[in-house]
Amino acid sequence: MNEYLTVFTGIYLPYITLAVFGLAVIYNFFKWMFLPRPVMWAIFPAKKSLVNILFTIAQRIFSLPGPRKFDKLIFTLSWMFHIGLIVSLSLHAKYIFTSHLPYEYEVGTTAGMLAAIGSVGFIIRRYADKRADSHFADYFALILLIITLSLGQYIRMFKMVESTHLWTWVQGILTLNPILPPANILFLMHILFAQIYMMYLPFKTLIHPIAIFYGQKIILDSRHVKG
Amino acid sequence: MKVEQIHKVFDEYRGLSDNKLRPFEQKSERFLESFRGLLDKKNNWAFLLPLRLALEACTHCGTCAEACPTYIGSGRNKIYSPVYRADMLRKIYRRHFTLTGKIFKKLIGAEEITEQDVNAMAEAAYRCSICRRCVLACPFGLDNGLVMREIRKIFAELGIVPEELKEEGVDNQLKYGSAPKIPYEALMNILDFVKGEIEENRKNVNVEIPVDKVGAKYLIINNAGDYISFLDTIRGIVEIMNYVNVDWTLNSPRTGVFDNVNYGLFYSDKDMLRVIHAHLETIKKLKPEYVVVGECGHAYDVLGHLIKDLIPPEERPFKVIHIVELYDKFLKEGKLKLDKDKNIEPVTFHDSCKIGRCGGIYDEPRRVIAASCKDFREMYPNREYNYCCGGGGGFALMSKYNFLDFRMKTYGRLKMQQVKDTGASTLITICANCKRQVLDMISYYNLNINVSGLSEVLANALVY
Ligand code: SF4
Ligand code: SF4
Repeated sequence: MNEYLTVFTGIYLPYITLAVFGLAVIYNFFKWMFLPRPVMWAIFPAKKSLVNILFTIAQRIFSLPGPRKFDKLIFTLSWMFHIGLIVSLSLHAKYIFTSHLPYEYEVGTTAGMLAAIGSVGFIIRRYADKRADSHFADYFALILLIITLSLGQYIRMFKMVESTHLWTWVQGILTLNPILPPANILFLMHILFAQIYMMYLPFKTLIHPIAIFYGQKIILDSRHVKG
Repeated sequence: MKVEQIHKVFDEYRGLSDNKLRPFEQKSERFLESFRGLLDKKNNWAFLLPLRLALEACTHCGTCAEACPTYIGSGRNKIYSPVYRADMLRKIYRRHFTLTGKIFKKLIGAEEITEQDVNAMAEAAYRCSICRRCVLACPFGLDNGLVMREIRKIFAELGIVPEELKEEGVDNQLKYGSAPKIPYEALMNILDFVKGEIEENRKNVNVEIPVDKVGAKYLIINNAGDYISFLDTIRGIVEIMNYVNVDWTLNSPRTGVFDNVNYGLFYSDKDMLRVIHAHLETIKKLKPEYVVVGECGHAYDVLGHLIKDLIPPEERPFKVIHIVELYDKFLKEGKLKLDKDKNIEPVTFHDSCKIGRCGGIYDEPRRVIAASCKDFREMYPNREYNYCCGGGGGFALMSKYNFLDFRMKTYGRLKMQQVKDTGASTLITICANCKRQVLDMISYYNLNINVSGLSEVLANALVY
């Protein structure tokens, strides 16, 4: 059983995941791109040049002015969650290039904790929030992520897998010569949940980082369609 | 009709009459058909992208609620949160128009449409003034106000629109030249009266009020409601235009539409376009260099902005400005000699949503006020963050049943506090609908403040 799980999650599933993830991201990005440019529907102060618009979008992505002004809790949780997640993912992506980075353990553990606190905060807030009705799908991504993060933290803290083995496993996938991943059951669960999460992301959660470009552009763009 | 007799479909208020809503009629099939039309590129190119984004990308974080004056003013009643109201449409969109919704149903918040949903949505769409303040809060820039407007559009296709906006608004305007149906003779009498009043107050001043003059530099089209309810504003405009002695004109029903309003903006792109074309016909006859939108907010949104995207440039060979921009221009050119001591009482300024947040005019009125009033006090929040007064989205015209209570107990309550906090005795605003709402607020809450347009304040400060 363990062997089937190892082969499936470590050798076949990564390709399925990458294909689903990639195609779904592309679909979600382009489905809005081909809709007609709407009437000027800006919220002032808005911008008159594309460079200014793009610069302000980038600024807003990092500074989240709306949540910062109107809901400090979501602003704080968002920062913890997104920074934690991005750093954690970057530390995973390092296996494309190297097996080890300085201070990796400390940075990874802190990032994992931040992301976990952020996601638990999101869940509690969702549950307690009286302003919006969250449905199963809203919780599902967070629950998946918390499971994945907790397993990852546990594995990292107790150094349950060899980083050189991980590196060769990732290299194998990237060079289309896959090898078996570490056979630790917790690790296999970790990569299984991570991959389910990745396949689910573009259909739900990942829509919002794409939407932010389109949504912010509409409200920042004060150029008229017909001039 | 007494309050108890109202058939409740969403909350304790009603904005639509039973005649319009027809609460016992089956409408869900036609609703879906009309909704499908909105999702079509050809049918709804102008608003499809923001609509689709708002329907598909909301994460239910609830941040927008904290920006919404209805929600805050109601004491944070969940049914008035932007996300709750927009979700009424989102769940139907997912179930009826997305594959994942058809497969996963309630798991992803997709729900089959019911007749109760349809009735509730019709009313819910008239609990949002489309002030678009919530857009500032949403990290993704999603526009729940726009969703409410799109719902109103769906219902307009089913003939469900408040009479105040459709029959007594757009239809009257297109038939009689103005929503309040002011005949030519009555308009001329009003203008004669205005002329007489100014000449009596300002001795030795000879007032001219050009009407229907072809080829004038400035054609000022007012909100016709001002000729009835806010004559001081008209008096102010006339006095200022005489003072600066430029080539200008008003227009009358003889040239077509002389009312700048466009209530189509609040419920239907088709009716909005009908009014735009009527305005264009009128303007074409008068051939001005500038069309000056009198003190009105939504009229500026349509004539100053939307028209530029909906009508090709060759069909609109004129520039459009709001009257406050014209005053600011006169000020910069040194055409106005003012004495602040003529306006010594403390004043505050209300940024109308359609002129500020949606129109981009913030500094001009402040410059004019600073030049003509001794004691100007900002209200907080202001500019793009200002709260809608509750007159927007057509609400200022809607008072049937207990709808006035809704306007007052939500938006009105919030605005009242905001104004009180300034300690000002006069609230200045440059939109007729805002004035109407504030006037109602003053009598509803028995407030000791005045509401005024900017034109009369500026005219009062003129030095001869
Ligand atoms: S547009 Fe204004 S009234 Fe409507 S939901 Fe947004 S903030 Fe509330
Ligand atoms: S702030 Fe934006 S994403 Fe959050 S609930 Fe409101 S519309 Fe949805």
